[in-house]
Amino acid sequence: MRRNSGRSSVWNFLRVTAVVFAASSLLLVASDNAPERVPSYVSWSQETLAAASAGDAFRGMLLAKRCDHCHGSEGFSATGSTPNLADMDELAIWKELEDFRSHKRISRAMEPIAESLSSRDVADVVAYYSKLPVYTDPQDNRNFPGSRPGPGHAAIASHLVAFGDGERGIPPCQSCHGPVAYRPGVPSLMTQNSEYVLSQLEAFANRSRANDINMPMRTISTLLTEDERHALAEYYGSGLGLQPGSSR
Amino acid sequence: MNWRKLRTFLLTVLVLCLIPATRYYQIDAPLLHFLKGSRDVDPLSLHLAGEFVENNLGTEQGADGSVTVRMIAQQYLFVPHCILVPAGVPVHLRITSADVVHALAFNGTDYNVKVLPGTISEAQLQFSSPGEFKTVCREFCGAGHYAMRSELKVVPRDQFPVLRSGERGNCAAQ
Ligand code: HEC
Ligand code: HEC
Ligand SMILES: [Cu+2]
Repeated sequence: MRRNSGRSSVWNFLRVTAVVFAASSLLLVASDNAPERVPSYVSWSQETLAAASAGDAFRGMLLAKRCDHCHGSEGFSATGSTPNLADMDELAIWKELEDFRSHKRISRAMEPIAESLSSRDVADVVAYYSKLPVYTDPQDNRNFPGSRPGPGHAAIASHLVAFGDGERGIPPCQSCHGPVAYRPGVPSLMTQNSEYVLSQLEAFANRSRANDINMPMRTISTLLTEDERHALAEYYGSGLGLQPGSSR
Repeated sequence: MNWRKLRTFLLTVLVLCLIPATRYYQIDAPLLHFLKGSRDVDPLSLHLAGEFVENNLGTEQGADGSVTVRMIAQQYLFVPHCILVPAGVPVHLRITSADVVHALAFNGTDYNVKVLPGTISEAQLQFSSPGEFKTVCREFCGAGHYAMRSELKVVPRDQFPVLRSGERGNCAAQ
């Protein structure tokens, strides 16, 4: 009798476990969350920071021969649509190359090139480009700096760069892109080509570029008007960002 | 016998004093941290997995008519930039920070939610009538702090869009 009841309680236990197990797996299946959209596999952990700044600049210089004909031998490109890389923030170059490698940032030109680089190559070219100096060179056929914006555009842009627009919730560009403050992986735009800056603002706004972590640039570029995007591109592309306040 | 009473009394007072003291000196922080362990998130990898991935941000419709709003506060933006909720239903807010301490407040209401990196702040809100509120950060968080503003739109219940499963609502410009 006693043994019997013991056995049946074991049975009961097993039955309950089975029901609970089945129910919980059903629940798991039922909670059909949409697949996650990951903007970039990069996250700024200590390991990432270490990996991104462990490159060998000399080896990078040799590797960068492959990049010269587009990005310029001094890190300043001849065409406005190709970005300048000289003196760009280490983490920013690293992140963009990683995003091209993982196809999180789409570019017909850059994806295959980035894929052909090993992790070590990436760190090395990062070390090289982030150390390239920014000085003028009359021998170089660089696109930068472009022509200055008219007074109207200069005023619009320098206001957005310095103060943003509190009413619309646009933070000042310089609070993330410098020189006032930098955040990890945010490139300085001070020596960037006008045409490239404009193309990126538009790409963020129409979501064809969607690799910004937690969406700051997709949000901000959408809040900007077409005219403001042009003004900002001209501002940075003409080198006004190098002398903040000079255009006001 | 009186001594024993006094001893018990003194001991009780001592223990009672210890409770605020452990809070004040945060001796219990590791314990609280441990107890809250399952709620913690890694502020640096919110975008990789978990409930704060970008397509899960915004307003989720519950089966009971209430809604859950998930947001990220970061220097110097709230994401999504415009929150859309129906009037007259309970709103469960879940927000975390990707970097430093922020505080989310809706101008014109009493709601003020402290947002800390690594922790999910929860708040129960309800808006009785439709309206628009400015969402502001009330904790100095750096160079762009004063521009850290966005919006909350409360719409009549029948004007709140019907969301497909997995879809989240917001009113940020697309
Ligand atoms: C065929 C021309 C070409 C070559 C060669 C090339 N790039 Fe690029 N690169 C581009 C273009 C165009 C872009 C802009 C991408 C876009 O369409 O958004 C770009 C973008 C980049 C960016 C992103 C910059 C930013 O501001 O976000 C980095 C970093 C970069 N390239 C690094 C390299 C490196 C390193 C090499 C050499 C190993 C290289 N590129 C070779 C054309 C080229
Ligand atoms: C909240 C911080 C923040 C603010 C404010 C901000 N940005 Fe950005 N921006 C970023 C981040 C982060 C990236 C890098 C995105 C990525 O990871 O690829 C970026 C990238 C860019 C790029 C692409 C650069 C490149 O080399 O590819 C442009 C152009 C840009 N921002 C323009 C602006 C302008 C103009 C403003 C002011 C209206 C502005 N940003 C304000 C955070 C910010
Ligand atoms: Cu803040």
